[in-house]
Amino acid sequence: MIASFDAIETVLALCLTAVALVCLFDRHLVRACSFFVVFASVMTLAWWQLGAPWLAAAELVLGVVLTGLCFFYALGRISPGDSPPLTYDSFNEPRSRATARLLLALAWLVMVGVAIRYVIADMVYSPAEHPLLLAGVVITACALAAFALHRHLLRRLLAFNVLGSGVFMLLAGIAGTSAAAQALITVGLCIAWLGSMLGALLIRQLVHLEGADALGRDGEPKERAE
Amino acid sequence: MMWRFGLFDSTAFDSTFEPLVSTYWALCIALALPLLLGLLAALFPPKRMWPVALASLPLLASGLVLLFAFEQAGLLRWQWQIAGVSLSLRLNGLSVLLLLTTQWIGVAAALYTPGVLRLGEPEPLSRWLWPLMGALLSALSLIWLATDLLTLYIALELMGLAAVGMLLLSGKVAALLAGMRYLLLALVGSLAYLLGVALILGHWGRLDLQGLADVVEPGPVAWIAGALIGAGLALKAALFPLHGWLSPVHSNAWTPVSALHAALVIKASLFMLLQLWSILLPDTFYAPRVIAWLGVLAIVWGGFLAWRTDSLKILVASSTVAQLGYLMVVFPLLLGPDIAPLSRALAWEGFWLQLMGHAFAKSAMFLAAGNLILATGQSTIKGLAGTSRRLPLSLLVFGIASVTLMGLPPSSGFTAKWLLLEAMLISQQWWAVAALLVGTLLTAAYVFRMFRYSFDESAPRHRYQPLAPGMDLIALTLALIAFALGLLAHFPLELMHGGGV
Amino acid sequence: MNATWLPVTTLATSLLVVVVIFSLPEEARRLRTTVNLLAAVIKIILVTLMVGRVSAGYEDIFSFQVVGGVDFVLRADALGVMFAGLSSLLWLCTTIYAIGYLEGSANRKRFFGFFSLCVASTIGIALADNLFTFLIFYEMLTLSTYPLVVHSGTQKALDAGRVYLRYTLSAGVVLLLGAVLLHHLTGDQSFSSEQGLGNYLNDHRGLLTLIFALLVGGLAVKAAMVPLHGWLPRAMVAPAPVSALLHAVAVVKAGAFGILRVVYDLFGIQLSIELGVITVLAVAASFTIIYGSLRALAQEELKPRLAFSTVSQVSYIILGIGLFGPFGTIGALAHLLHQGLMKVTLFFCAGNYAEELGIHRIDEMDGAGKRMPLTSIAFTIGALGMIGLPPVAGFITKWYLGIGAVQAEMYWVIVVLVASSTLNAMYFLPILHRLWFRLGPAHGQGQWPKEQRLGRLETHGWLLWPMVFTALASLGAGLLAGTPFSPLDWATRVATGEYLP
Repeated sequence: MIASFDAIETVLALCLTAVALVCLFDRHLVRACSFFVVFASVMTLAWWQLGAPWLAAAELVLGVVLTGLCFFYALGRISPGDSPPLTYDSFNEPRSRATARLLLALAWLVMVGVAIRYVIADMVYSPAEHPLLLAGVVITACALAAFALHRHLLRRLLAFNVLGSGVFMLLAGIAGTSAAAQALITVGLCIAWLGSMLGALLIRQLVHLEGADALGRDGEPKERAE
Repeated sequence: MMWRFGLFDSTAFDSTFEPLVSTYWALCIALALPLLLGLLAALFPPKRMWPVALASLPLLASGLVLLFAFEQAGLLRWQWQIAGVSLSLRLNGLSVLLLLTTQWIGVAAALYTPGVLRLGEPEPLSRWLWPLMGALLSALSLIWLATDLLTLYIALELMGLAAVGMLLLSGKVAALLAGMRYLLLALVGSLAYLLGVALILGHWGRLDLQGLADVVEPGPVAWIAGALIGAGLALKAALFPLHGWLSPVHSNAWTPVSALHAALVIKASLFMLLQLWSILLPDTFYAPRVIAWLGVLAIVWGGFLAWRTDSLKILVASSTVAQLGYLMVVFPLLLGPDIAPLSRALAWEGFWLQLMGHAFAKSAMFLAAGNLILATGQSTIKGLAGTSRRLPLSLLVFGIASVTLMGLPPSSGFTAKWLLLEAMLISQQWWAVAALLVGTLLTAAYVFRMFRYSFDESAPRHRYQPLAPGMDLIALTLALIAFALGLLAHFPLELMHGGGV
Repeated sequence: MNATWLPVTTLATSLLVVVVIFSLPEEARRLRTTVNLLAAVIKIILVTLMVGRVSAGYEDIFSFQVVGGVDFVLRADALGVMFAGLSSLLWLCTTIYAIGYLEGSANRKRFFGFFSLCVASTIGIALADNLFTFLIFYEMLTLSTYPLVVHSGTQKALDAGRVYLRYTLSAGVVLLLGAVLLHHLTGDQSFSSEQGLGNYLNDHRGLLTLIFALLVGGLAVKAAMVPLHGWLPRAMVAPAPVSALLHAVAVVKAGAFGILRVVYDLFGIQLSIELGVITVLAVAASFTIIYGSLRALAQEELKPRLAFSTVSQVSYIILGIGLFGPFGTIGALAHLLHQGLMKVTLFFCAGNYAEELGIHRIDEMDGAGKRMPLTSIAFTIGALGMIGLPPVAGFITKWYLGIGAVQAEMYWVIVVLVASSTLNAMYFLPILHRLWFRLGPAHGQGQWPKEQRLGRLETHGWLLWPMVFTALASLGAGLLAGTPFSPLDWATRVATGEYLP
């Protein structure tokens, strides 16, 4: 039993979880974005470790470089123009709403846990055999909670990206790295990148038109929010 | 249930012969041409209606070729292997119908677009509308045809991103905020879908629907995968109570974009939901009932929202929520154990007739509403006072479209409602009957609230902006198609019988 | 030999004229008038042809399939042709009248378009051969009448329109439910089917009663039976030709005609008697007759008094059904025509008084007989007919109803008839007294509320001649009741067909 304990995978899983947590819950936006780049790099290593070099390459290009660029563009660090760069998220959520959303995320976690228990039956007996899968579950749950909790659009976009990576990790853990799974993940990476790009453009445009305050309104027009 | 989607082992029936070369070409044109034309139009944006009309001819022709090919051969299938991943398409009666619907509405929206862009103030981003519209139509066509989860995923995402992009183009702050929210929700929805697919792939090891239909057995994995996929798609389809993003998105978008979105995009998610659930949850009792109860609430709540609102576009958008409720209410007649075959057959026909009728009527309604807003320069219902004298044609189109939505004869809404009511009576679902009938009255309430203002003669006169003549005619054509589907329902429904057993 | 083209062409003529009118510009007054009158004349010719065909023993049928198990069928049978004849004749009269009445006012294109659509729907109702087809045209009638009711666009008219829709659309929903229930029970049930629903009596007694209640309840709203009559007096705000059409042939009669169809052709008299619903119907009709007359007595304005008189008079038709004997049936059918002729005359007169002299209230009518002799003579004929005095057509009806009551040994009906005639006399005779025997502005006392000299004669020719024609027709229908092709003769033919198959 203990022989199957894989040190490298465990280290990677721990790293991923820690980096994701920082990325998700740091209010300092530049730091969060930097940590996202680190997170994506560790993901690349993880794909390599799982024996999917093409996927690693895709993650490196799409996840690390292109998505990273998107975030720094959204922050206003690349071609800043006339509007100030974003630095800090100062929006706050009422406590009741936050609790409700956390509960939703928890319910989600339970459901995914149950599903995995049925799909990979032996995992119950030796959870440590699949450290990356476990990391995937934790990352997904945290990212979902963060997505539900945050109001700042950039942080929600970050949360979505981390959530996506968590889901890919889960997918690879459940379905292995067959050709079909790799294809699904590659498509998912492309979509995540396109979505982030669109989101970054939107955020920049919103900051340009309305100032940084517009990012916390969650779809509400200005008149009603005030 | 599965054969209705064209997902059965074709060797047993020996109904597929080798597709002709012309069919391959028609398929390629139907799938790729919208995208290519869209890219071309981004380079050389058309300023008039006729270049668009000319360019869309091959597209419409491809749809007809596929229709004839289907009528001759029954079911058609294509399959490719790329790098160890197999992609497969099929063409049955339902896909042909939905493909034709998509092409006609897409072409109508494209024809309408130059007029809008010419009348409005020039926008820097307007040329990007074309490639997005093309990508949207290609993705929709792919969704109707695809039979494996990977292709469906690609098409769904392409459609979602194109839709978000189109809705943003008007560039107003409200549109951007609503669009950002839609983008995030759609992306998360697709992750839920992906997770469901991951479970399926992990458990059964395959992604093609036909193979899955053979191996899937009820159990926690199927349930949870069904729930994940269902949640993701319901979010994208704006099914109640996940409809919150819909109205703000529509109230700020350009008219042809709204028309396409309400008519087709949300229907595509609903189509996928029904198709995947019929594989994953063919015999569950509760899931379709939950959907149906939510549908009842959607009918009431959507109708109420539309009745209360002051904005014309929100009225039309909220009515979409209510109309989707009609479709949701039918779920227990399509999925689940112990459904009388006659009831299921009637419900099946009624469901798609309602869906197609609503697609045409809703796009016509959005175009008509857009015309009214463009001409009067006001987007509120009160701003319409006195329009019956000055803009009779736009109002007439709105009226014809709303007759379909109300489900009054002789529209397709009525025929569909007749079929659905009969199916519900056979299976004794009285609450569904009540929901359908109440829905009619609620729809009438908000539609005639709008007409009431338009007939007001005491309103002050405004200066109206003249519209290009084609703009009303396009909307009229769509509305009349929705009408004609009512009395001529036999022909499209006959198509859905063909190619099956 | 089956002249399929005949019913289709008759319907298509009316529908085509709608399309033509809507596509003509508002200013093309002359062309529109020509088209309108030409179509009306053509339709009378076509209906005459149909009358000839029916009396020669042919029944022309046109049908096509809408969806599986539901057909669209038009059939020219004796009862239908009777209603079609009334509708086409009065269409010509009211159109001529309306052209004169709306001279120089706004929105005439809309008015005549929907006016023609309204008449086209009544032709469809007359020729429909199953409930599905009937329902199509019945709802079309509802929708096409709304723009006519709110035509003036005032607050009062808009409110009346809202009330009208509330009543009629709810009724439409009830009717739809009944129709679908029946279709679910029996399949497609043609009005011409010989066997009726007798086979279902033993097993489905309760369901049949429910269906009967739903159908007749839905139809009774349009037939304005108490307590479902609330919309009718309010709808009086519509222009006079609309009121005339609404009361004489279109909406109210459509309801009564529908009840005739349900009782005679769908359920059959025998089955209706066995279900015990006929007596209920007769009691409800009697109550309506008395209540309507009492309310009419209380009105001080002319048009509302006529409106409540309609409420009362239309129920004679229902009462005739309730007597379940050949004489009662003949009375009912003949009254369908007679009441149409007389009521349209009365409304034309009321319109003329209002247009020429500005008279709306009854106490303003003193001495109008001298100023407008032809109108007043016509009014007198109509009023005497309503009371039931010979030789006007109304007498024939009451006579036959009386005989029917005696034969059925329902003596209380005679009491109702006598009471109602007395009440009729009480609210019509004072008007006649004012017209002829009081001194008024024409004798140099006071002045008319708003006098206009519209023509060389007592008023505009377009307003005068249709009224003279219908007055003569109602007189002729009474005087020449024994000749072939008189309303009474045709009603006898229909009744014979019902009782002696």
